[in-house]
Order: sequence, then structure tokens, then C-alpha cells
Amino acid sequence: MISWPNLVSQLFNGLALGALLALISSGLTIIYGTLGVLNLAHGAMFMIGGYAGFVAYQYTESFILAVIAGSLFVMLLGVVMERVIIRHFYHRPHEDQLLVTFGLGICFVELVRLIFSSQSQLVPPPALFQGITNLGFMFYPTYRLAVVGIVAVALGALFIILYRTRLGMIVRAGIEDSVMVDSLGINVYRVFMVVFGIGAMAAGFAGIVNAPVVSLTPGIGDDILVQTFVVVVIGGVGSFPGAILGGLIAGEIISVTSMFNPGYAYVMLFAAMTLVLVVRPHGLLGTKGRE
Amino acid sequence: MLKQRPFLIETLTAIGLIVAPFVLPHLGFAPNTVNRILVWGLFGLGFDILFGFTGLLSFGQSAFYGTGGFVAAYLLTRTGFSNVLGALVIGMIAAAATGYLIGLIALRRTGIYFAMITVAIAEVFFFVEFNPLSDFTGGENGLPGVPTPSFNLGFTTIHFTNGWSLYQFIALCYFVGVIIALRIVRSPVGAIFSAIRDNPLRATAVGHNIHGYKLTAFVIAAAYAGFAGGLLGVLQAFMPPDAFTFDTSGQLVMQTAIGGRGTLFGPLVGATVWLFLQDFLQSALGLGAAWKLVLGVVFVLLVCFLRGGIVGGLVDLYSLMSGKRARKAAETEEAEVEAPQQAPPAPMRAKEVEHPAYSGPILKATGLTKRYGGLVANSDIDFSVNQGELRGIIGPNGAGKSTFFKMLTCEIAPTSGQIVFEGRDITGLKVTEVCQLGLTKSYQVNQLFTGLTVRQNLTIAALAELRGKFRLDLFRKLSDVKGLTEQVEHTLALVNLSRRADTPVSELAYGEKRRLEIGLALATSPRLLLLDEPLAGMSPRERVETVKLLKSIARGRTMIIIDHDMDSLFELVERVTVLQEGRVLVSGTPEEIKTNAAVQEAYLGGVHGEIAA
Amino acid sequence: MTDDLIRRGLSRRGLLQTTAGLIGGTMLPAIPAFAEDQPIGSYPAGVSGSTAFIGISVPRTGTYAVQGEDELKGYQLAIEHINSGHELIKKISPKTSKGVLGKELKFGVADSAAKPNEAVQAQQRFISENKAIMITGGTSSAVAVALNKLAQREHVLFVCGISGSNDTTGKDCVRYGVRQNFFGQTAAAAIGPVMVREFGKNKKAAYLTPDYTYGHTVTKSMQDFLATAGWTTTTNQVAPLGAPDYSSYLLNVANSGADVLINVNWGHDAVLSTQQAKQFGVLDKMKLVVPYQVPFIARETGGLMQGVYAATDYWWTIEDKFPLAKMFNEAFEKKYGYKPEWGAENAYVSFAHWAHMCEQAGSFNPPDVIKAYEKGETIPSLVGDVHYRPEDHQCVRPVIIVKGKQQKDMKNKEDWYDVVEIVPGEGLMQKPDAFGCHLGDYT
Repeated sequence: MISWPNLVSQLFNGLALGALLALISSGLTIIYGTLGVLNLAHGAMFMIGGYAGFVAYQYTESFILAVIAGSLFVMLLGVVMERVIIRHFYHRPHEDQLLVTFGLGICFVELVRLIFSSQSQLVPPPALFQGITNLGFMFYPTYRLAVVGIVAVALGALFIILYRTRLGMIVRAGIEDSVMVDSLGINVYRVFMVVFGIGAMAAGFAGIVNAPVVSLTPGIGDDILVQTFVVVVIGGVGSFPGAILGGLIAGEIISVTSMFNPGYAYVMLFAAMTLVLVVRPHGLLGTKGRE
Repeated sequence: MLKQRPFLIETLTAIGLIVAPFVLPHLGFAPNTVNRILVWGLFGLGFDILFGFTGLLSFGQSAFYGTGGFVAAYLLTRTGFSNVLGALVIGMIAAAATGYLIGLIALRRTGIYFAMITVAIAEVFFFVEFNPLSDFTGGENGLPGVPTPSFNLGFTTIHFTNGWSLYQFIALCYFVGVIIALRIVRSPVGAIFSAIRDNPLRATAVGHNIHGYKLTAFVIAAAYAGFAGGLLGVLQAFMPPDAFTFDTSGQLVMQTAIGGRGTLFGPLVGATVWLFLQDFLQSALGLGAAWKLVLGVVFVLLVCFLRGGIVGGLVDLYSLMSGKRARKAAETEEAEVEAPQQAPPAPMRAKEVEHPAYSGPILKATGLTKRYGGLVANSDIDFSVNQGELRGIIGPNGAGKSTFFKMLTCEIAPTSGQIVFEGRDITGLKVTEVCQLGLTKSYQVNQLFTGLTVRQNLTIAALAELRGKFRLDLFRKLSDVKGLTEQVEHTLALVNLSRRADTPVSELAYGEKRRLEIGLALATSPRLLLLDEPLAGMSPRERVETVKLLKSIARGRTMIIIDHDMDSLFELVERVTVLQEGRVLVSGTPEEIKTNAAVQEAYLGGVHGEIAA
Repeated sequence: MTDDLIRRGLSRRGLLQTTAGLIGGTMLPAIPAFAEDQPIGSYPAGVSGSTAFIGISVPRTGTYAVQGEDELKGYQLAIEHINSGHELIKKISPKTSKGVLGKELKFGVADSAAKPNEAVQAQQRFISENKAIMITGGTSSAVAVALNKLAQREHVLFVCGISGSNDTTGKDCVRYGVRQNFFGQTAAAAIGPVMVREFGKNKKAAYLTPDYTYGHTVTKSMQDFLATAGWTTTTNQVAPLGAPDYSSYLLNVANSGADVLINVNWGHDAVLSTQQAKQFGVLDKMKLVVPYQVPFIARETGGLMQGVYAATDYWWTIEDKFPLAKMFNEAFEKKYGYKPEWGAENAYVSFAHWAHMCEQAGSFNPPDVIKAYEKGETIPSLVGDVHYRPEDHQCVRPVIIVKGKQQKDMKNKEDWYDVVEIVPGEGLMQKPDAFGCHLGDYT
């Protein structure tokens, strides 16, 4: 049953999937870590990123411009969402935050469905990355290969923002201790707005980068959202390194299980999450800070 | 306002259910839609207990809905088991058992973590249903051919077929469900559920095993979901695989929020709105696929502006209209009551001692140390308090007083050292157990059940003492708990809040909240009561009253008090311990402390003379 | 306390029964005096006025939404033609003047999202509220099977929409369900010989199968047929409906050493899995075959169907051979602006056949209409004469084998396929009892 070429291929594919999950999850996790809000519309952000990029591509025929436009649009959407709605929920119970983001997610999905119909939309990969690459042990779509690189760069950029800037310091301090940040005399709400924008942009960026891989449908973000939850729980809520580790683990679990029986991939994924919860309730790299 | 008349809600529900078949058809509701609404309503009863009453928002209810539904449908379609009601009950039990196991995992975490885990659980059940178990569940095909119930009553057989005939059966199930749910929320367990929703920290601190109660709520919700899932199969003659999808959970959450959480009937109202709008928007307005967008927008608006949903909004409106009159009446009454000076209430008895023979110090801490990373909060504290003593603790800010209290009440575990309470080593016990032993504290920052009234607050604390940390008296009426009323009334009188008994905490003045804070600790009848800055933030007049109050409750029990108001403290206590930089600086009588040079140095930075308050 | 509850419960139940009795009495319409016209299902209540109602549930969201919308267009065109007595309808149902038996057809549409639960809910509503005399829907065999069972319980005729599973008229068949279109068995029996002719004997095949009755039975039929020519299966990758990514499945396929990839996925799943098969180099390694053609897949995959064999119910270019097809294409294109695919064709023809059967029976009485189907009369369709088998209510009809055209050969932007062969239906069908069909009762 196990064929080595297939195992190697699947492991590699798991890396690609994991990288993408890591990027989306880190968006979710820094928003949660800083603002204390779990954005259930995060999957919709991923989806909207794809569609925004698709529209931009229709007009410009340029993939790079599509990526930029898609990411910026979702960042803007995130900022508007934070300003108009989320802001009023910081002092309301967690349940209300969950409900409102859940509702917004549904609105976004249905709005996109209304505008673009359920029909799948295609964003072709950029000419540079079209075709297939022979990796020696396997054939792999060149674009998917490129996605691994692009996502790695994006994660690197996020790392720099989080660990090398003042904003990042505040964000990380907030993850450690939200009360402390309040007392630092910083305009916390402006930080929140920026963080929400960046977190949403991470999802939107992933959405447009991923669009040529899967083709777009309005429901594309729903499955991703659940997977990012698992990633975040495994890695530890609020932990950026945790999101990356969790993403990679999740990607590999899905891929390796798929080699034997794809139907069990998600069952195994959730089994892993349960195991982590039992052994390390705060996640692999999580701290006790936020609950 | 509805509480005065027993069975009012039950009766209204019954009337509503009986009248429905006559009225609803004229409003354009087909029997099938009504049945479907009832199934959602029943599903939602359990969910509302979990979400609305206990405050646990689960996105995983589809797991139990599907489990109950498929167990029942499997029994009825594949095994030759023909008793429909029996199958529904077995399905319900299976769902409850599943709920118990899932709850053990999911409730390891709270808040947002809990929500995420339940989402994941809903998904995993969906995948399990489709793959490993598809031979039993039919996979994507579901299980067609679920029969409808019939009952042989000896002389005749009643067969509930479809439409309004099946309505009778489903309505009866719903009615029984409502009765049970009402009993639960009015039971001691129900009271504790709302305590958990409002302030889980304090619910734990007054001596309730909240994990056990949360698990109970989770299992109740799973049982309701399981039964409703079975009914869905009966209603449709087909058990759909969609019962397991995340969408089902999402729809339930949305319906409950639309209808109104914490109302029991919210989910039913929400389902009515949902199914009506779905139908209306699709067929009457021809919106096609856009119907869900409209519902989504309605939902978001409700969450933003009408937190209590439709039912909550109506209740607010009702109390707004009737409340103005009531308040006016109450104000005039209050003025009259003010005049006569009430006789001071009798001192409150403390909990019976477990080992009356024990006569050593009531509390003895040795070598107590707490480190946070490199930071030492408490270092090697030796501390002993005798039975009946009134001890004060003072110290500059950051001396580690609150940390010390937290360790004594076992809210946090010491890094090293030992705590002995009445001769028993309590180091490493949980705060709940310690409270049950008779040791509790009132908090520096109020920890009240803010959504409840004063009486309800004290009831929750008193229940912990009267019922122990965990008990499943789900069907007992609160008024049937022996000694509860007396204890609550007594505490009310002690903390001088009798006249405010039915006022919501949110409407209390600060001094009153402070007194209630002490009352919460007091209502558990502790033998050793720790008070963390009971006088903080009070006006001079309030201080005088509170000191009086503290004196009266000190009779027959041991108390340790932290405060910065040294005049009041020295007047109250027999001995004082001074903490500085996490260590015991000195202990002695108030007189000794006042004149102690080291203390003066600690407070005044070496300037000699008596400490000024 | 407990006694009190029980008393309440019991007295309530009694009360409710009385209630229901009263309602039952008042709600039932006046029953016609004819002894043979026992009310059954929504008959005669549904046709007591001047109209007859049809409940339509098609997926308008989700994986099969595109195909659902297309199917819906076919239904709408058929209803329009029946109500106006269009000449095309008269060719199929000569007795039709306007409407069916003089009743104007009304219809309601609900989104099933290709989920059985949604479809059953919607149809239950159409039956109880609108007194639907006939229900239709499909695009997913899981939906079709569920509606089969609903139709049988409610005694309302279900004229099946797109459904490719052998079970629909096999082990899950019902007296109250009929199906016009081709299915797993006939698809396999029609395309199998073409594949053997084209690719040779003793080849290795890999399958992509959606995880429900349609996928399972179509894959099984293909495997069974190809085994007779010595073909083997290297891997069968079973994916859930609406899977977002097929990379894992396709890596398994790519490493399986197969010669031919048989993609049984449908709707958007088929589009996505085909696109990704291309991306993973699978289509360069092995030949693609689509045994159950997916409307619009050629357009949506952007040319990936070039050179690919597929079996289908209908392809518009057969209009050269079939005048009725030409009429249909013209009417459809005039109304909707594009050439019809087989979902619309199946929808149109199955309604036309139903109208024919009702006219033949002279009544909407479901048992009479069913018996008209069961006569097995030879009737026209857009692809020549066909008939329904009385044993399993399956229409015996040709299967069209098409092959994707190279872009340079396309005469217009909708000229995606060459028609390779029109395989007559008779030789394709299994024995009526081979898939375990027991139709059940008329009443």
C-alpha cells in the first residue's frame, strides 16, 4: 500500500497545504491574541480576498496587481468592519462577538453569491509559474510550488512586523497581557484597527494566492475556517509560532492520511486536536494568558 | 412578574399549542412547517439551557442532533425495532452519553476555545458519519423510511400519521420538553447555571463545582438535541445526513439569537421567523438564493441592537411599560419603611465543625512562598490564626497581601509551603473544596453575579453550603431546599439589603454592592472568613456602618481582614500582621503595631512618630 | 406534582385529538362522489381548480448549482410550452392542447443545494401547502432517492430530474417515481466499448468517485464493464461532495500507474478535479474519461475536455439527425440565449412525457398515470423513440457518446464536442431485477 514516491509526494503536498493554513491561521490568531475577538468571518475574508483578486484580474490582467488589490481590499474591509461593528463589541461578552462575526461571515458569503453566483470563477496562475515542475521524485504544479515560496515570504513579513516593529511589540504584549497594554497609554483602539486589518489581510492574501489552485466559489472559506480553528487549537491560541507549527502539522496529517484513505483525513486531524487538548490544553506553543 | 402565578407559563404554552392548529393555517402556516418549527424549538430548549442560561455557546449541537436522530432512525429502519417513542428515547440517551464524552473534552477549556472546539467536533461527527459509519447512517443518502408513531392503548390504537395528526405527537413532546426545561431552570441547578453564566469565578469561589454543572448543562442540551433529531426523522420519514452538518448548528445558534437567548421560547420564535422568512422571501418575493443574505443581515442587526432577541425585546418592552408604575409604587413604600429602626439581626451561625474535638489554631500556614517566574510575591510566610480570632493584615501596596489571601483560599497554588485549616492540610485543594470546608473570602474587586438580583446572588452562595459542591437535584424547586429561604433572608438582614432584595445588582449603589460582596461570602456560612479590603472605596458613613456589620458577623467565627483604613481596622481586630515585600514584618496587638519602629519605617520611610491613618 | 403533570398531559392529548379530528373534518375538501376517485396523495385536491401545481427543487447553491439552474430552465420552458400548447410538446404529447388535461400548470421552485434534507423539506411544503400533483428535482441522486421515498409515502408522483445512480430505479426504486435520463449502467455499457476500442484491452484505470450513491454505482458499473475487457482498477479515490481540493487524491492517482483516469465527479467537483488533474500532470500521464457528462464542464475547465470521451443524455449537435432536437434547441436558445445542455433536455423531456402520460390516462389520479407509464408505450423524445420499463420505471433511451473537440475544429463557441456514437438503449439496460428493484404499492 505504501509507495515511497507517493509518500514523498504527499509529504510535500502537506507542506504546501500546511503553509497556506499557517498563513490564514496566523491572521486569525493575532487578531484574537490582540483584540480578544475570535473572528468567525475569517473564512469569508479568505474567500473575499480571492474574489477581489479575481475582479482586479479581470480589469488588469495582471496577477501581481490582483494580489495587491485583493489584499488591500480585504485589509480595508477588515478596517471598516472593525470600525463600524467589531469596535462596539469589545466590551460585550465573547458570545456576542462570536455571534456577530458569524453573522457577518454569512452575509459576506451570501453577498458574494448574489453578485458572482455560485458558479466557480477561474483565476489563472501568472504566466511565470504556469506548467508543471519535475522535482525528480514527483511532478508538482509550478504554481503550487510558487505558493509555498510566496506564503513563506508573507509569513516572514508578518514575523518582521510582529517581532521587529513597535506595533509588533504592542501586539505581542497584548497577547501576553491585555490589561498591561491598556495601561501603557497607547491608543489601543488604533492598534486594534490596524491589527484587525493586518489579520484580515493575511487571510485575503492567502485567498487570492490560493485562487488559481482551487478556483473560486462563495463557500470556499467555510472549510478553511474550521481547519484554521484546529490549527490554532493545536498550536496555541494567540501564538504566531504556534499557528505556523500547527499549520504544518495539520497539513501533514491531512496529506499522509489521504494516502491511505482520504475520507479519514479530517477525522485524523480532529483526533490530533483532541490529543493535544488532553495532553497540552493550551496548545503546543500556547501560553495560559488568554482564555 | 410571571413568577407569582405558578404554572402560568406552562398553561400558556398548553393553550398556545392547542390553539395553534386553529389559528396558524389562516396565517399561511402549513402543518408541516409548524411541526418543523416545533422540532427546532425542542432542539433549542436544550441549547438555550446551555447557551442562554449557562452561557456556553456551542457550535457543535449538530453532533448530538445527528447522533440521536441516526440512532433512532437506525433502530426503526434497519433492526425491526418498531416502538417509535422507545427509539426516540434510546436516541436521546445515546446523544446524552455522547454529550457527556464530548463535554469531558470540550469543557476542558472555556470561552472562545470552547466555541472553536465545538465547531471542530461538529465537523468530525460529520466526517465520521460519512466515512467510518456510513454503513449505519447511509452516508450521503441518509436513512429513508422512518415510520410514524402509533400507540396501542388497549381499546384503541392511536396512529399519528402526518400533518396535524403528527402535530399532536410532536406538540406533546414539545410540551413535555418545556415542562422539564422549566423545572430545570427553576431548580437549584438552574440557579447555579445562571451563576456560571454571570461569573464563573465567583460561582467556583462560593463552593460550586462548576465543571460538573457545565457538563450537566452540556448533557441536557445533548439530550434535547438527540430527541429532536429523532423527531426530525419521524417528521420527514427520512433521516437526512445534513442533520450532522455545521450548517445545522449554525442555524440553531442563529435562530436562538434571533428569538432571544435565555428565554426558553426564543429558539421556537427564532425558528418561526426563520422558516417563515425563508418561505416568504423565496416564494412570495422571489428572492431565490438571496434569502439567506436577508436572514444574515437581520441576524447581525439583532445581535447589534437587540441583544435579547425578539422575546427579550418584548419582555423589555413589557417591563418598561409596567415597570414605571411599579417603581413609583415601590418608592413611596420605601419612604415609609425607612422610619422604624429594626432590631439588629441575630448573628449568623457558622458551619458545623467537622471535628469538634480539634482545638488548635484554625489556620496555620508555614513557609508559604509564591514565585511568578523571577518575581517573588510571597516569601516564606509563617502565619497562624486561632479560633474566634479577628486578625488584621496591613502592608504597603505591593506587599503581597492579595496573593497571600489567594493562596490561603486555594485560588492559586503556592510554589512551596503548607496550609493547614482546622488541622487538615488543604495545600493543593481547589477553591471550591476549601469553601465547602468553611473557608472563603470576599473580594477586593466586587465579584458579583451582575445579571441577577440581590436575593438570587445570595441564594447561589447559600446553595453551595446547603447542597454541597455538586448535586443533581434538577427537578427540585428552589423553595424546597431546606433552610434556603431562612439563610438568604438572614444574610439579607445582616448586610442590610432586605429592602433591596429583588433589585438587580446592576442597579445597586457602590456601598450596597460592597455589602453584597461580603454577603456572598457570608451566605456560605464560613467558619473562617477572609475579607480583602472590605472598606475600599466607601464613604466615611458607609465605613462606620460596615465596621458595625463586620463586628456583628465576627461573633462565632474567625475573620482575617486586609485593609488600608487602619483606624477602622485597629478598632476591629485583636491582632495585626504586617506584610512587607512578601514577608511577615511583624505581628502584634494594634497597640504594639502602632508603636513599632519597623512598621513606621515601612510606611513612612523612617520618619518616627505614630502612624497616621 | 407528578400526578398533576400526567393528568395535564393526558387531558391535553385527549383535547388535541378532538382538535385534530375537527380540523381534519373541516380541512378535507369536498370529496367527489365517484366511488373510484378515492383521494390519494394530493389528488384530487390539487386539481380541483383550473390549475395543477408542480413542486420543483433544484440545487441553486452549492456544488451542483450551475447544473441546477440549467435544469430549472428546461422545466420552465416545458411548462411554458405545455401551457401554451407549443408544437414541440404536441409532437411528444399529441393530445395536449393547452395545459395538462386542460389545467394550467403552476410551479414553485426551491433551492435544494443538492442536499436531500433541503429537498425533502421543500417538497413536503409544496405537497401540503400547494397540493402539488407532481414533484421533481434531482441533480443529485441522494436527493432523487430521498424524494423517491417521499413520493411513495405521500402518494405524489415524482418525475426524477438528473440522477445517475443505478439505485434510483434499482434498489431504491418506487412505484411513484420515474426516470427519463441515462444512468451508471447504461453509461458504462455505452462508453465502455468505445474505450476498449480506443485504448485497448487489459488497461489500468484510476477512478475519482464522489462519495454517495451516484458515484458508487457509476464507478461500480464502469469497473464491472471494463473488467470484461481485462481492465483493472489501480486506485479508486472516493471524495466527499464539494471537496475544496483534490491534490491528495490526485497524487494517489498520479502514483498509481494507471493508463486512464475515469472521473466520475460531477458538477463543480468535476470541474475542479479536472483542472487540478491538469495541474498535477495527471492528464499528461493518462487519458481522461468522463462517464457521466457534466453540463458546462467543457466551458468551465477552459478546454481540458479536448479529446476526452464522455457519455451523455443529449448533445445539441445531434439536431442534424433529430428534428425534435432542432426544434428544442431553437426554442431554448431563443429564450435563454445559449444551446441547451442535457440537464435542460432531461427536464424538458421528462415533463413532456409526464404530460403525455396524464393525457393518456385521462386523469391526474396517480395510479392511473403510473399505469400509463407502465404500459411501456413507445413515445417520442428529442433523441428518437423511447419507452418506460414497467418493472423499474426507467426510460429505455439511447446514450450519446461524445468526444471533446480540439479548439481549432470548433465551429462556434459552443461547439465543444463531436458526437461519436448514438448507442441505442435496448442493448445497454440491465435485467429489470438486477439492481434489486421492488416498486411497492400503488396505494
